[in-house]
Amino acid sequence: MANRIGVYICHCGSNIAGKVDCAGVARFASGIKDVAVARDYQFMCSDPGQEMIIRDIREHGLNRVVVASCSPRLHEKTFQKACARGGLNPYLMQHCCIREHCSWTTADPGEATAKARHIVEAAVDRVGHHGELFSREVDVLPDVMVVGAGIAGIQASLDIAKSGHQVHLVEKSPSIGGHMAQFDKTFPTLDCAACISTPKMVAVSQEPNIHLMTWSEVVDVSGFVGNYTVTVLRKPRYVNEDICTGCGACLEKCPTKTLSEFNEGLSERRAIYRNSPQAVPSTPVIDASVCKKITKDKCGICQKVCPTGAIDYTMRERREVYHVGSIVLATGYDAMDPTPLREYGFGRFPEVYTALQFERLNNAVGPTGGKIVMKNGEKPKSVGIIHCVGSRDRNYHEYCSRTCCMYALKFDHLIKDKVGHDTRVYNFYIDMRCFGKGYEEFFRRVQEEGVTFIRGRPAEVVEEDGKLVVVGEDTLLGMNVRVPVDMVILCTAMEPGRGATEVARVFGIAQGQDGFFLEEHPKLGPVSTATDGVFLAGTCQGPKDIPDAVAHASGGAAQAIALAARGKVSISPTTSWIDPDVCIGCKVCINLCPYSAIEFDERRNVSVINEAMCKGCGSCAGYCPSGAAQIKHFNQTQLFNEIDGMLGMMFEPPPPASDPQAADQPGEA
Amino acid sequence: MSSEFEPTILAFVCNWCTYTAADLAGTSRMVQQPNLRLVRVMCTGMVDPKYIVKSLLSGADGVLVSGCHPGDCHYINGNYKARRRVKLLNEILPQFGIERERVKLTWVGASEGNEFAATVNGFINEIRELGPMEARSMAVV
Amino acid sequence: MATTAKLQVENNNPVVAIQGLLRGLLENESIGGVLVPVHHFGKSMPMPTLVTDPDQLSGADPLAPAFPMNSAKLLSRLTRGQTGERIAAVLRPCEIRAFVELVKLNQGSLDDVVIVGVDCMGAYKNTDYRTFLAGRDPFEATLAFHGDHGGTDKPDAGGVELSAACKSCEHPSPANADLIVGLAGADLRDALPVLADSARGEALLNALGLPAMGENGRAKTLEALVKVRTEHRDAMIEATRAVTGTLTDLSEYLSACVNCYNCRVACPVCYCKECVFNTDVFEHKPWQYMGWAKRKGSLKMPTDTIFYHLTRMAHMSMACVGCGQCSNACPNDIPVMELFRTVAARTQESFGYVPGRSLDEPPPLSVFKEDEFQETVSHMA
Repeated sequence: MANRIGVYICHCGSNIAGKVDCAGVARFASGIKDVAVARDYQFMCSDPGQEMIIRDIREHGLNRVVVASCSPRLHEKTFQKACARGGLNPYLMQHCCIREHCSWTTADPGEATAKARHIVEAAVDRVGHHGELFSREVDVLPDVMVVGAGIAGIQASLDIAKSGHQVHLVEKSPSIGGHMAQFDKTFPTLDCAACISTPKMVAVSQEPNIHLMTWSEVVDVSGFVGNYTVTVLRKPRYVNEDICTGCGACLEKCPTKTLSEFNEGLSERRAIYRNSPQAVPSTPVIDASVCKKITKDKCGICQKVCPTGAIDYTMRERREVYHVGSIVLATGYDAMDPTPLREYGFGRFPEVYTALQFERLNNAVGPTGGKIVMKNGEKPKSVGIIHCVGSRDRNYHEYCSRTCCMYALKFDHLIKDKVGHDTRVYNFYIDMRCFGKGYEEFFRRVQEEGVTFIRGRPAEVVEEDGKLVVVGEDTLLGMNVRVPVDMVILCTAMEPGRGATEVARVFGIAQGQDGFFLEEHPKLGPVSTATDGVFLAGTCQGPKDIPDAVAHASGGAAQAIALAARGKVSISPTTSWIDPDVCIGCKVCINLCPYSAIEFDERRNVSVINEAMCKGCGSCAGYCPSGAAQIKHFNQTQLFNEIDGMLGMMFEPPPPASDPQAADQPGEA
Repeated sequence: MSSEFEPTILAFVCNWCTYTAADLAGTSRMVQQPNLRLVRVMCTGMVDPKYIVKSLLSGADGVLVSGCHPGDCHYINGNYKARRRVKLLNEILPQFGIERERVKLTWVGASEGNEFAATVNGFINEIRELGPMEARSMAVV
Repeated sequence: MATTAKLQVENNNPVVAIQGLLRGLLENESIGGVLVPVHHFGKSMPMPTLVTDPDQLSGADPLAPAFPMNSAKLLSRLTRGQTGERIAAVLRPCEIRAFVELVKLNQGSLDDVVIVGVDCMGAYKNTDYRTFLAGRDPFEATLAFHGDHGGTDKPDAGGVELSAACKSCEHPSPANADLIVGLAGADLRDALPVLADSARGEALLNALGLPAMGENGRAKTLEALVKVRTEHRDAMIEATRAVTGTLTDLSEYLSACVNCYNCRVACPVCYCKECVFNTDVFEHKPWQYMGWAKRKGSLKMPTDTIFYHLTRMAHMSMACVGCGQCSNACPNDIPVMELFRTVAARTQESFGYVPGRSLDEPPPLSVFKEDEFQETVSHMA
């Protein structure tokens, strides 16, 4: 039986019709083999447009539909659903693009119309070879894994736990809180970071639906949306969490010291340590790389002083396996190491600090007990804050780190507040970006506090007569400046976490060119990833301040909850299929498959697709010489016919370009 | 070559990067010559060399395969597989006078509308310079 | 693996001596059968035969200059999946190399097969072999072909020339065999060296209890043979390039092709169960043919001839071992081997791939690396 194809050419107002003679294309389409009806219409995506398709399916007995309008990335789903409402399998529709790839980019109306004809012909030729496809539903496991317990991971975990689902929260550090736990105050409200984050951290530890695993890392993920198997490596803490009361006796007696990561190297910590007195969990951890008992079998003091006998030097790492329906990645960011920017002297001049170091100087439990003092213990009389260190810089990161302007303003205020109003504070900035709620107001307030703003990226920081001098240009005044200061703070860029590439590999997601994890869509899918059931939360997706990270995390949590609440997930049917009658069992596709979605059936000696794991990338089909492996909806016959149609092979070459005037007054075909 | 020759070019572009870049180029109204037509595939890793050969034998003067930059592939590594397959055709086809330039592989990321438009126009110009594909005038293919 | 044993030749008949070697292997309890070319009828082609009864080895003629088919595909059938018993297979070097390629593609296994390679002096095309026999007893003809010393190409023996594939084959000595019968340079009236080329071969050879044998000039003979053949190959490639440099030239070269696909059936490394060109993907509709014809005014039938050959080059040229069975199988005498070896020379070199060299080298399209072939990627913007 011959196909009955309906073809619909959208004007998209004047977006398409302004260049393409839509009526002419519809007339051309009506002459293509098997086309039963061809129409052009103002807005195909509108309700009347969709109704037109549904009516034609019924009245003209259409069994195939072609819509030529905008990019299928925009409206393919819309028209698939319309077809479904008309009783036609959605995969019997082909959506082709005559707007982004034709009317909007082609200068000459005649050429645009000719190109549109080819595109439509290809779609018509292709759709004739489409087959019905049906989405499958699989169960979603109720538990969710959250990876990373900074503020984003905490927020996501609490949101999910609140919905009644079990959360397995994995944190690679010994305690949770992430970078936020290092901060003192937060902009623009100046509430203390600990005051707002500690309750959340405690809530995590007390929430029965959250299973917290600190000092742990995910090492393997397999499975697919709704059904992930995650292997977690539990590093040995050498302190039994179940027995330890967090009294801290061991911390005082430990004789071995090393630089504190949490204090950004500004102070020392013991070999047995915890990041802060408020750390969650409060159980310390032994740094096996320096502990004398573990490295040399000497000492053992902590074991002796521990009142509960929680110290266990024989602990070994272990692997635990969890089955979850979805995963929220909240692995955060790292601050850029400014050492490579030698011109700013970090590492050479002791009074050049990174922003995170300065946060620690500010913090009441930091190395100076919250006093902003120099290494010699004196208060700085003047401070230079250099913005955009490594950000907005082609040599390092092209992007803006989005937080530096605001925390620099916070520093301005804190210096004025804590050190004294007479302290001179100089900001060296490129642009002030104060876009959030209350941010511009905060900028105004700080300006009024008497802080100096110098527009221009400084050339270098030099030392003259025991004082640091920031050398640069004030680009507003158009003059060179040399500003002597006691202390310099570098607003270093937010970078993808140091382990981001490995994390991306383990979870099978992509990184953008900036190294941050790639979201499904930059605007409309900011928390989803290309891997179904793996969601993003917070700064692992890109630089964010706290409110944005928290909002993003709640978004990621909502996605995970939605999946778990429905309990079922629909698997796209456009997977690969291997014809067992044609497959010779060479197994090459098994090695090429990036998702381990192909298994070998030893009995029949053929490769078999696991449709739940297959994502339809076609690595198998692109190789398979016999064509046994084919992607449904992108099979050889469909592609060959699309190629033939694109090349205008089936029919007479189109008539000469029509009168562009006609394109302005489109009519019904 | 005759200055009246207008090439016909097919491009197999991946849904996630280059097709998206083409959308972006469209949204940004970046004018392109009309000679290149897009065939959307989910990943360059599904481009069977047969599709390229078929295109060249059926009237295309050039074939572009374009996908995600290394490391950006939506399907992790499909673009690397495509690279080997295009490499193979680049070794076979020139032996029969099908110039290497006619089969091109590029990486154009989702945000690179500019690069997409420049690639399209550059490739069309290059093929126009090169002249028509021999198969166009052959009854025997 | 340095053992070289001496296989004594009686009555100036090396064929009988090799039969004796095979009998010895077959009598070894570990080997259940031997795959070897056997003359079944008086004056015809020796066909690969699975012999389990030692007494039936008397028809075996592994030295016959006949090559009716590449046994790699047969050995694939004998070793795929559960084998049960170990067999020995007497193979030409190109058959071994093709088999190694098939093993890489899960089309067979080397686990339960003892490969007995024989230095290859080449063979005639099927039709030429009959001319060469000229009514003689096939064993006599085989002995006459080899003469007294192994290793000199005798292109005009019997008034016919060796097949073009054999004349341009630079692999006369077997690689990846367990045992090698060192025909090259041997005095065929005296003794043949049998070399162990694997631990398994070594064990088997020791069990046979043959005396040791010293150097007999095999390496030198092989070297000379390779030199002549390589020169021939290079000239062949150059000549083929000269007549296939454009698509029109290629069409003319293949103008007698009737799309019978015999070349792919005969090809040992074309391993598909069903060629894609035989599937319904290439069953075009009548109106499609009409459309294509109208486009240019005419359409050669059957269609897709060039498409088929170019696709086949993409599929198998990197695994091509140059055995020449494609040419042998072509009903219209198209020099298919010349064309495919010419293409393969370039594709194999470009991927640094030598088919049949090692099981550890994966077929180039079955793997990929992140950082490779940067020159394949264009940067237009």
